[in-house]
Amino acid sequence: MSIYQVQKCLFDYLRAREHAPKDARPEIAEIAARGYDLTDEERKAVESLDLGTLYAMGTHPVLINGLARNMGYRKADYRPLLAGSMPPERKVKPRWLKS
Amino acid sequence: MAEIVTAYCASHAPMQAVDPESAPKHQADNFFAGLEHVRDQVERAQPQAVVMLSGEHFTSYFLDALPQLGVGLAEKYNTPSARWLRMEHSLLPGDAKLGEHIVAGLMERRFWPALSYEMEPDHGFLTVYDQLDPTWQLPFVPLVLNCTTPPLMTLRDSYEFGIAMGEVLRSYDGLERVAFVGGGGLCHFVGEPRIGDIDEDFERWFLEELGKPDCGELLDLPNDELMEAGNGTGEVRAWVALAGAMRGNQMTLLSYEAIYEWIIGMAVVTWTP
Repeated sequence: MSIYQVQKCLFDYLRAREHAPKDARPEIAEIAARGYDLTDEERKAVESLDLGTLYAMGTHPVLINGLARNMGYRKADYRPLLAGSMPPERKVKPRWLKS
Repeated sequence: MAEIVTAYCASHAPMQAVDPESAPKHQADNFFAGLEHVRDQVERAQPQAVVMLSGEHFTSYFLDALPQLGVGLAEKYNTPSARWLRMEHSLLPGDAKLGEHIVAGLMERRFWPALSYEMEPDHGFLTVYDQLDPTWQLPFVPLVLNCTTPPLMTLRDSYEFGIAMGEVLRSYDGLERVAFVGGGGLCHFVGEPRIGDIDEDFERWFLEELGKPDCGELLDLPNDELMEAGNGTGEVRAWVALAGAMRGNQMTLLSYEAIYEWIIGMAVVTWTP
């Protein structure tokens, strides 16, 4: 299915938690049950909030950032979490690089 | 007709509000000194409203309907983000008439912004606005730019949009003095493995080019090359737009620090009206 459905579900999850009182924040399973059109693989990644897989699927980095912050991760955690998705080496040297 | 009596850009980082002491003191002091300088400018110039540009962070809009440009038309703005930013206030006064003038003026100049009567100014605006007016009294018009979801405006598009914005603001007869402010950038990576990296070479080059006539080489920078400096760095579109609005005026760099603890390069620049 479309990565949009994954992203919509994750966005709705983050928004619902943001707007709920601290002791009533919904879990992802509750949000994911609302009828998003997800494949089995997408549903598994969403329901487990598997950031590495979600990132590799193409989830928008602003959502990855929101989820990571929501889960209490810090900047040092990102590299190991998303290790399988490091960007390729630069093909073009940006004009501002001196060396 | 209105004059742009203050024009500046400042980086925005949630950490500057949530935990400013987390940065090395000399770096934080230098950055905040730049903001103090522009606050003094504002106090002298006495703008009657501020128009502010910032990147969209999926706060006011999402992928279901994401504009390249969005203009706030509200009389007031609720700001739920103010709580986690540890700010005292939560309600920003809007200037709906100025917002309406901006929309109409941009359309006359062939730009087509989305309208929003319920925009939610987030850290991108609040960290900058709170430093500009800690009392939250100055009427405000937010403009969001899509800076993270391709296809994106190029820096040349941003510059041309800024030229149009300058004309639109100066053609407004509802006020005499307006501040025009850009928030965002500089270099940062968001939600990806390189978070925390800062390309200082890019930042120094960007700030130097920004101050040149017609932004030097910046307007020829393709979006994919800009993305090499960070997937959040596209927020510098707001800075290039300000340069367009203030073309012909001298830009001054007030402060620059690559603050790794805040995962972003922090700078303040101003244009002499």
